[in-house]
Amino acid sequence: MNSPFPTSSSVAGEGHLRAKLLPHGNSGLESFKYQYPLKLISPSRPSETQSVLVFLLSYGGGLVGGDHVKLKVDVQPKAKLTMVTQGHTKVFTSTAPDTVTRQDMNVHIACEGGLCLLPDPVQPFAGSVYEQTQIFHLEEDASLCLLDWVTRGRTARGEDWSFDCWVGRNEIWTVPTAKEDTEADSRERLLVRDAVILESNRPHPELAILRDSMQGMGVVGTLLLRGPLMKLLGDFFLAEFAALPRMGARDFRSDAAKQAAEDAHLSPREKWRTERLAMEKESKLLWSAANVRGCVVVKFGAPEVEAGRLWIGSMLKEEGSISHHFGDHALICVRE
Amino acid sequence: MTVNSIQDQISPQKGSETDLEDEIVELERRLAAAKAKRRSSPHKSRSQPSPEEPLATPNLSHHFHLLLSDSALPLGSFAFSSGLESYLAHGHRSNPYHPHTSFSAFLPLSISSYASTTLPFVLVAHRTPTFASLVELDDAQDASIICTVGRRASIAQGRALLGIWERSFSQSLPPTTAATTGPTEKQQADLAAFARLVKKSGGKEIPDASAHLAPLFGTICSVVGLTLHQTAYIFLFGHVKALVSAAVRAGLFGPYQAQKILAGATVQELITEMIKREWDTQIHKAGQNVPVMDLWFGRHEVLYSRIFNS
Repeated sequence: MNSPFPTSSSVAGEGHLRAKLLPHGNSGLESFKYQYPLKLISPSRPSETQSVLVFLLSYGGGLVGGDHVKLKVDVQPKAKLTMVTQGHTKVFTSTAPDTVTRQDMNVHIACEGGLCLLPDPVQPFAGSVYEQTQIFHLEEDASLCLLDWVTRGRTARGEDWSFDCWVGRNEIWTVPTAKEDTEADSRERLLVRDAVILESNRPHPELAILRDSMQGMGVVGTLLLRGPLMKLLGDFFLAEFAALPRMGARDFRSDAAKQAAEDAHLSPREKWRTERLAMEKESKLLWSAANVRGCVVVKFGAPEVEAGRLWIGSMLKEEGSISHHFGDHALICVRE
Repeated sequence: MTVNSIQDQISPQKGSETDLEDEIVELERRLAAAKAKRRSSPHKSRSQPSPEEPLATPNLSHHFHLLLSDSALPLGSFAFSSGLESYLAHGHRSNPYHPHTSFSAFLPLSISSYASTTLPFVLVAHRTPTFASLVELDDAQDASIICTVGRRASIAQGRALLGIWERSFSQSLPPTTAATTGPTEKQQADLAAFARLVKKSGGKEIPDASAHLAPLFGTICSVVGLTLHQTAYIFLFGHVKALVSAAVRAGLFGPYQAQKILAGATVQELITEMIKREWDTQIHKAGQNVPVMDLWFGRHEVLYSRIFNS
C-alpha cells in the first residue's frame, strides 16, 4: 500500500490565482489552483465585498525543509485581491544546510487593479534555511500594499535568530499596459528592490553573531506601498515620520506648561498620535519611511512581535485606506 | 630575542662581572653575525634604490591607485557618518534603544552592511565598464537604496566623483598609445555620455541616471587600470576611513586611536573577508544583512542636532 504522505521533501507546490472584476462590480476569482504543500482558501460567502479574500496557507501550518512554493497571481483590470494568512508561516528546521525552503511569488497587477498582501510574519525555526522572492509587475495605475516581516523564531524554545539563513527579496516593476506597446517609454522598469539577507555564517570573528547584529529586535519588517489606492496611505506614513519628535531635543517647558498643553483640546488624530508615540517609546519600536521612486517604503523593528503587530495595525487602521479599498478582512493579520 | 627577555636573563646574574662580560661578548658576536647576514641577503638592491624603480615607465594605474585612495579626493565623504551619528543617538541615555553603543561594535556591522548592499555594484561595474552597464547598475542601485538619507549620500559622492572625472582626470590623461595603457576613447566617451544623461535626468520621479557612487567608482577604477581587488579594497577602506574620521569629529576618540584602528589587523581582515564574500554576488542578489542599519540610516532625519548629512 502506498503511503498517504508524500515521500519527496522537495515538492514544488505550485499555485495560480486570477482575480477579475465581475459584472456586478465586485471582484471574484476566475482561476484558483494549488497543490501540496500550498493551500489556498477563499470564503464562499464573503462578509465584505470591496475585494476578494484568499487565505494563503500551507498544510500543517508551515513549510518543511526543501519545500518549494511557487505562486502565480494575476489581478485583472480594476479587480481587487486581498491575501492573508492564518498564523505565522513557520519554517521548519532543514535537514541539511543546503536544503533550502523556498517561496516564490510572481504577481501581475493590471491597469487600476489592486493587491493587498498583509500576512502574518514568517517564523523561521532554529536551523532553518529559507529564501523568499516576491516579484510584482504593475501596469499603469495598479496598486500594491505589501507587508513582509520576519521574527526571531520560537522564543518559548529559546530561539533568538537561531536559523541558518533567511533571505527575503521584494521587487516592484512597472510594465507597459498589455495592449499598447507603441509608446516610447514602454519598457519594464524596476522601481524598488528591497532585500534582506540574514545569515548565521560569519566570515570573521569580529563580526557580530546574527542575534547580536539584530540589536535586540524580535521582529523586523518592510511595508511597500504603490499606486493610486495607496497614495493617501503612503503620504500618511511620510507625514507621520516627518512629525516624529526629534531625538535628543530637550523640553524646556515648565511642568505647568506641559500640563496645560496636555489639557488643551486635542483633535482625535493628535490624541491618537500622542498615544502611538507613547506606545512606540514604551515598546522600543523604531521605524522610518521614505519615498523611493514613487513607492513608499516603511521599515520597522521592535523587540516584541506583538508590539510590531500593534503598531502596523494601528497605523493602517487610523489612516483607513486599506479598510476602505479592500475591506476590514485585509487587516486580519495585523489586528490586536 | 626581545629586549625584555635579554634583560630577564641578565638580571639574576647581577654582581657577577665575568658572567656579564661573557654576555656582552656573546651579544656582540651575534650582532656581527646578523650584520653579515644582512650584507649577503638577496634584498641588497633595496639599500641602493634606483631612480627608475619600481616605476621604470610612467605607471598610470599605480598613480591613480594613490589618487583614488587618497582621503583628500574631494568626494565630500567627510559630510557623512553612514549611520554612526544616528546609532550613537539611539544609544544615548535619553533614548536608550541600544544601551551599549560603541564604535568597535558599530564598525564591523557597518563594513558588513556596506559590503553586502553596495560592493557588488562596484565589482560588476569594474568587470563591465561600459555605458550600458553603468546606466543599468546605477538604475538598479537607485531602486535598492530604500532610504532618503542613504540615497542622498550615495548620489552626492557619486556626482562629486563624476565631476572630478570630467573636470580633472579626463582632462589630464596622457594620450593612449600602443605602449601605454589607459582609458580608450570609447571608455572616455561612455563616461561623458553618462554625465550628460545624469544632467538630463534632473527632476524626474524615476531618473534615467542618478550617478550613485558605487557603479561610477567601479567603472572609473577599471578604466584607469586598477585591478578588481585593488578597487574593492580602496572602496571599502574609503568607507572605513570616512567612518573613523566621523568618529573623531564626533569626539569618540582622537587621531592616534583613529590611525591605530585604520592600521589594525581587524580592519584589514574584515575588508579582505568582505571582498571574498561578495566577489561573485550578482547585483540582484545584493541586500541588507543588518536590517537595523536601515533604521539608523533612515532615522538620521529625526535627530534633533546633526553634524553629518547621514
